[in-house]
Amino acid sequence: MARKGFMKKIRKVLVANRGEIALRIIRTVKEMGLDTVAVYEKPDSEAYFLRFADQAILIGEGPRRDYLNIDKIIWAAQKSGADAIHPGYGFLSENPELAAACEESDIVFIGPPPRVIRDLGNKVVARKIMEKAAIPFVPGTGTLSAGDAGLAEAVAFGKTCGYPIMLKALAGGGGRGIRKIEGEEELRSQLPQARSEARSAFNDDRIYIEKCVESPRHVEVQILADAHGHVMHLGTRDCSIQRRHQKLLEIAPADLPKNVLDAMHRTAIQAAREAGYVNAGTVEFLVDPKTNEFWFMEVNTRLQVEHTVTEILTGIDLIRQQILMAEGETLDIPEERIHLVGKAIQVRINAEDPKNNFMPEGGKRVEVYQSPGGPEIRLDGIVYQGYKIPTDYDSLLVKLTVRGYSWQQTIQRLKRALKDFLIVGPKTTIPFYLAICDDKDFRNGCFTTDYLDAHSELFNYPEPEREIAKLSKLIAEIHSRKINPYAY
Amino acid sequence: MNILPEGRITPRELQRSGVKAVLDKMRRTQGYYLTNTERDLSQSDFKNRIMPHTQILVAPERNAAGYFSLEITGGASVHVDLLRKQMNPLEKLEVLSGHMPDTLFQTLCRGINLFGYRPYPENVIRLTVETFARHVHVWRVFDFLNYIPNMIPVYEEVKKAGRILEAAVCFSTGPEHTNRFYVKKVGEILDVTGPDILLAIKNHGGLGSPGRIGELVRAILQKYPDLLIHYHGHNTDGNEIGRIVAAVQNGAKIVDASDHALTGFYGPPPLLTVVNTLEDYGYPAVGLDKQAVINASNKLRHERPYYRDFESQFFGFDPTVQTHKLPGGATGSSFEQAQKGGFLDRMPEILQNELPRVQIELGNFWSVTPGSQILWTTAANNVVKGARYRDPSDDLKNLMLERYGKFPFYKPAPEIYEAVFGRDWKKIVRREAGYQKIEDVDLDVERRILEHAIGRKATDDELVLYLQHPNDAVGFFKFEEKFGKTWVLPPKVWFRRGGFGIGDKFEFPDVTGKLHTIEIGPSRRTKDGSYMTHLGIDYHPEPVVTPAESEGEKPKAPVALTAKEIGALARMGDIRATLKGIVNQIPVAVGDEVGVGDTLVVLEAMKMLTNIVSDVDGKVSEIFSSPGASVETGDKLMVIEI
Repeated sequence: MARKGFMKKIRKVLVANRGEIALRIIRTVKEMGLDTVAVYEKPDSEAYFLRFADQAILIGEGPRRDYLNIDKIIWAAQKSGADAIHPGYGFLSENPELAAACEESDIVFIGPPPRVIRDLGNKVVARKIMEKAAIPFVPGTGTLSAGDAGLAEAVAFGKTCGYPIMLKALAGGGGRGIRKIEGEEELRSQLPQARSEARSAFNDDRIYIEKCVESPRHVEVQILADAHGHVMHLGTRDCSIQRRHQKLLEIAPADLPKNVLDAMHRTAIQAAREAGYVNAGTVEFLVDPKTNEFWFMEVNTRLQVEHTVTEILTGIDLIRQQILMAEGETLDIPEERIHLVGKAIQVRINAEDPKNNFMPEGGKRVEVYQSPGGPEIRLDGIVYQGYKIPTDYDSLLVKLTVRGYSWQQTIQRLKRALKDFLIVGPKTTIPFYLAICDDKDFRNGCFTTDYLDAHSELFNYPEPEREIAKLSKLIAEIHSRKINPYAY
Repeated sequence: MNILPEGRITPRELQRSGVKAVLDKMRRTQGYYLTNTERDLSQSDFKNRIMPHTQILVAPERNAAGYFSLEITGGASVHVDLLRKQMNPLEKLEVLSGHMPDTLFQTLCRGINLFGYRPYPENVIRLTVETFARHVHVWRVFDFLNYIPNMIPVYEEVKKAGRILEAAVCFSTGPEHTNRFYVKKVGEILDVTGPDILLAIKNHGGLGSPGRIGELVRAILQKYPDLLIHYHGHNTDGNEIGRIVAAVQNGAKIVDASDHALTGFYGPPPLLTVVNTLEDYGYPAVGLDKQAVINASNKLRHERPYYRDFESQFFGFDPTVQTHKLPGGATGSSFEQAQKGGFLDRMPEILQNELPRVQIELGNFWSVTPGSQILWTTAANNVVKGARYRDPSDDLKNLMLERYGKFPFYKPAPEIYEAVFGRDWKKIVRREAGYQKIEDVDLDVERRILEHAIGRKATDDELVLYLQHPNDAVGFFKFEEKFGKTWVLPPKVWFRRGGFGIGDKFEFPDVTGKLHTIEIGPSRRTKDGSYMTHLGIDYHPEPVVTPAESEGEKPKAPVALTAKEIGALARMGDIRATLKGIVNQIPVAVGDEVGVGDTLVVLEAMKMLTNIVSDVDGKVSEIFSSPGASVETGDKLMVIEI
């Protein structure tokens, strides 16, 4: 990390991640004329992103173990002579220990300082910081006391604030460790369970409570901050369309009145300042769709999966900015450079069966892969013809980001691009996104975090069937049987 | 839109002006009209095999040719569409009518037998006609006994649909087949239909001399001068043009012929020759564009080789048809059966002696589906089995019990009844004789059965097809679900034998109009016996897996059992297929006790059901086939433990 007044030029970046985000980072690093080092676990030996790095270092047998092993990452950096580490998203990206280990080893961590990650990663500390800055908060409690005392605090909160309320694990995040409680009785039975779940998931059973805003929208602000006290925003993203708190489809900018957006941008900048934020981050808000009131949720101290919509809209390379910020450069993007023209949408094309609870298609091979192109289409993927869906890692094939001038044009472009994909082998989320594209509420811009629950009919989409694939089956049969059994 | 020649009738005009106005216009118009009977091309499997790809290819020329109508559906073609072309017969008509908007489509409907081989319930008949009438403008309706009640529901539905009814009288020769008889028959038809119909003389065997046909046409027109007569015949003896000329000279208004590049043995005569000949006699063909007729055949000539496998195996003409009267379709398959059954050497005896004798014995009715099959099978059995009328088919029994309708001239003699029904024949006939009224089926129940079979909702059209040929319709629906609309494929792909060569490349649009290219790449057999073919689909390689055939890919051992051997095996409980056909029904199950005379398997061949009955008492221990399966003569069907 870069201290105030301290400048360090980066020459070689180790990417402590895998998959599409590793490739995404490698691309920018190369564009900046720097060297790249990839690390990988053994099951990733065939991975696509490795082919793009200048160097690839095997860090262990995996899976999902060595990518989380700080010692091995530092070792790999030292071995390869990398002087910076980019953590990507997930894995170690929000682990303050990696940032701290980098500091100790004189390696630049491309992200916020460890203290910031630590503070903002603790919901209660984060809340304290934000309260100091008069950032609006969804009413809630501090960490509940252990045992029955905590239960009593929770019951008292329920009485004053009213139900439903949300139980949240202090160490949770990314939608995990959250449960909704409709009444006191449920609270009494669920709290111990939530604790034990949190303990097993995060090794931390601390729980706090927030009032539940029903059918809220989820809107976040991308911010950039340098080590010299400059903070700016790059507009909003609407991530309301989620499945069990996992984002599926993201839109930039959020469709909100200008005065609301302005207020939200200001609040986000203020929050970043208050936290002493450096590098790229995301301030998340809940928005009441009826009143457009918004409340601070949390700060993600890393790059987001959906950063692409911000990039396609602003033309700003967020990873380049992250590297510059980490080097201690001064943020010098002029305000007028930030134009948020048009609408952008990102969808995550996963090898999953939406109809079967988004079950990953691990083990299947992509027999054919053809991707769309043309104006305002961006692809961030690691799939290729012959790609085998991993069973050890996520099933993301490619992220598709499109931009259009108007909302309608953007949807049409998204549809067109989705239809131009040809992926044979695994089932994918493409037909499901196509169903969303044709949904009236979506087209009218009416969606909240309840969108999927309220639109279960979206799952009734027809399985995509290529007529030519069927005909090919017959031609292959005529060929292999040496006669057409359906004609003779 | 092109200006069409005066006098030509189009679907639009029929829709706009109605049947009567169209028929009146034809009455006023000088000259005669021509129907292209593609469906009746050459009397073999060939005629029903012409693929939609070919029909679409030649559609512009045929549409420009200016026929009165194109006979493109009906007869066995509905069944073959489903079974061997894997195309929805209704969709075929819809697609083709889009390509030939100015041409009337004609069908051949077997009255109560519709497009099948046995009587259908009346509600099925009405629903079927109503459905097909969406695309079919001219309905030729016949009955093999010329028994009018068998045709009435079809008559009524055709009229209701605003389509042109062409009531047919089947024609044959012999002492009973007099002008008086036919004129009277025409009168009976007109009593039912009213005057606004076409009347077809259906000379499916190509029987009689030109003089006989001319005289018949004249006699009918003498009594009914405003009647529009459509003469239909076949070139079986090579003299069809003579009969056509005589028919037109005596006032027939429409005659049948077809593309010279496709027709041939036993088919209709070449259309262009008919036109040129009649022109010389001073009769102009209304609306006909000779160049378009030539262009159509120029295109078709290049396609014909792809259909080589289905060409008739028996070339040349057959003037002896005047004796055996078997129509061409039945002749082709009868020779095929004789060859497979090993009695080819007895064909002259069957055709020249036994068949004419059986015909007289059974009442000298018309040798046309399904009557021709009954006559042939009976005659062949009589000769091959060496005992006349032994093991009669159900169809023969039904015929003799007048379940299909009344004998037109006379009933068979008592000794024939005794040979067929046994000593108690009088009792049986008294008890069972009489017209068989087929009960209506519950369409909702049928629909549910269909939907169960295909595992999804069925459309109204699908129900109609199912009601025609249940097994084959379901087979087709499943095929289409798996393989899509394969009728877009050219015949060189569809009929390819021996596999393709690496690098072979085909271009065709799919049903949506999207253009595709398929290139054949290397292929290999995988461990599990399936076959992996690498296809270049639209220039992207894609492996396509063909699963191993369920019964393994061992080729069927050629079985050359004679009828005698099959009979000997049957007496030991080893039940073999007595003929090549399709298993229609197996009324017994493994473990059932059976006795002498019990029906074990019902085979369908040549449009007829044949029962295989037990020669032994015993218990069914094994069954090797199932309804819908095709079997060759001598194939093992069942074992009975004696």
